[in-house]
Amino acid sequence: MKKLMNDPAHYVDEALDGLTLAHPSLMRDGSAGRVIRRAEAARKGKVGIASGGGSGHLPLFCGYVGQGLLDTCSIGNVFEGPNVDSCMEAIRLADGGQGVLRLYGNYGGDRMNFDMAGEMLEDEGIRCTTVLGTDDIASGGPDEIERRRGVAGLIYAYKCAGAAAEAGADLEEVTRLAAKAVAMTRTIGVGLAACRLPSADRPSFELGENEIEMGIGIHGEPGIWRDTLRPSDAVADEMVERLLADLPPSGAEVSVLVNGLGATPLEELFILYRRVHKKLAEAGLRVVMPLIGNYVTSMEMQGASVSLFHLDEELKHLLLAPAECPFWRVG
Amino acid sequence: MELTVAQMAEGVRRANHAMVDLEQALNAADAKLGDGDTGSMLVRVIGGMAAAAPETATSVSEAFGKLARAGMSATGSSLGTLFAGAMLLLAKQTKDRPVDWADLSALVGAARDGMMARGGAKLGDKTVLDMMDALAAALEGKTDAAQAGKAGIEAAERTLEAYRDRPCKMGRAKFFSEKSVGLDDPGMLAFAGLVRALATAK
Repeated sequence: MKKLMNDPAHYVDEALDGLTLAHPSLMRDGSAGRVIRRAEAARKGKVGIASGGGSGHLPLFCGYVGQGLLDTCSIGNVFEGPNVDSCMEAIRLADGGQGVLRLYGNYGGDRMNFDMAGEMLEDEGIRCTTVLGTDDIASGGPDEIERRRGVAGLIYAYKCAGAAAEAGADLEEVTRLAAKAVAMTRTIGVGLAACRLPSADRPSFELGENEIEMGIGIHGEPGIWRDTLRPSDAVADEMVERLLADLPPSGAEVSVLVNGLGATPLEELFILYRRVHKKLAEAGLRVVMPLIGNYVTSMEMQGASVSLFHLDEELKHLLLAPAECPFWRVG
Repeated sequence: MELTVAQMAEGVRRANHAMVDLEQALNAADAKLGDGDTGSMLVRVIGGMAAAAPETATSVSEAFGKLARAGMSATGSSLGTLFAGAMLLLAKQTKDRPVDWADLSALVGAARDGMMARGGAKLGDKTVLDMMDALAAALEGKTDAAQAGKAGIEAAERTLEAYRDRPCKMGRAKFFSEKSVGLDDPGMLAFAGLVRALATAK
């Protein structure tokens, strides 16, 4: 397992340098350059949306800063939450006077740092709300959704909250819609090979040459089962069955995200989607705006995740609203 | 006997020096249960604290505040943030008053409770909290650095031993807690190593 890098200690900052050089719509900001924000300053009168998390998941998190999506994003080291300073800076920079929604994944470090940042900002008079992504069905049963990790499905919450904020909704409404999007999203991942941190000399876990792990987390957290590799159709069938079994009562339309974890060819994602689409059709579901590609990665982990976002008219309208960031363009 | 800013700064210096030896051992312990960076993360946190020049503080509270801010800037990892958050809490607890070595037990207890509230772990989960709980108990009635150091080392060793064969119930290790039986928790191991370094002059 090799990496194109210079010094592991500079891995994140050099990647952020390249990202912002390539995309002038993004800017590095904050005392340590660990906030990515829209190049134009926060718009007065618009609710701000700040996210954040560890590096190693691009395009998540900072790749989704843009029109109709996020305003700012704090960035930590690889697989390590953003520090309290950059969380505070991300919240401040997102504020256009109407408050800020903090929208990020349900991980202990991220939660702790955003909470502390919020406490330290209390005196500055910025109103904040929080919504956590909890879409990973492998990390907790339906009765303990608050324990679930946030994975690829978080981008649906970004999209809906971002569209609402752009359209002028107030903080309570943007927060409600982000929470509704999270509640209607379910994800499951499957891993074929491990990833390696830039500073480590070996993979972060072992997965045998002919093994596959269902329900794996985006940092290699253990899943539901590990067994010998099987055909893609069988994998897709199980993923869709598990996702549909977990969803709250919902309508006839669904958006699907077949997401590569970093080292899976697009061809394989399309092979997976071909079967996912068939299974959803058999279940009577019509697919709206399928997304196939690398939307939330785990370094060079081999594997994929499938997310289902169940739609009603309100969510569908927000999903299809125009948005633009370096990695995603809608409308 | 009063705890001084100079003693705190010496403690940070010793901790920073000790990380040279502790880094790889802690990374290796974490690689078995997490992503293998506990040692490297603490090198950054404690290095940042040393660079913050706690010796220039005019009170113990201010020194804790400097350490907290330096720690928070150095990391976003849960353990590092909890550690820095505990320093911030101690800065508040010691504000505008002299601090005695006899207060240390209560201060460690307050840091333990603050970290418990912040991180959501409970006593018995096999985390750094169990180590702090044992340390708070061991420091009770100790009135100077020598007594506190001796009691601290004994408590740390005893606690590592007592928890080694129990499962981790917090952090990434909770997902495969049976694999953690027989292994030291990296956070506990780090805390024990630092207590040893603080209590042993070189």
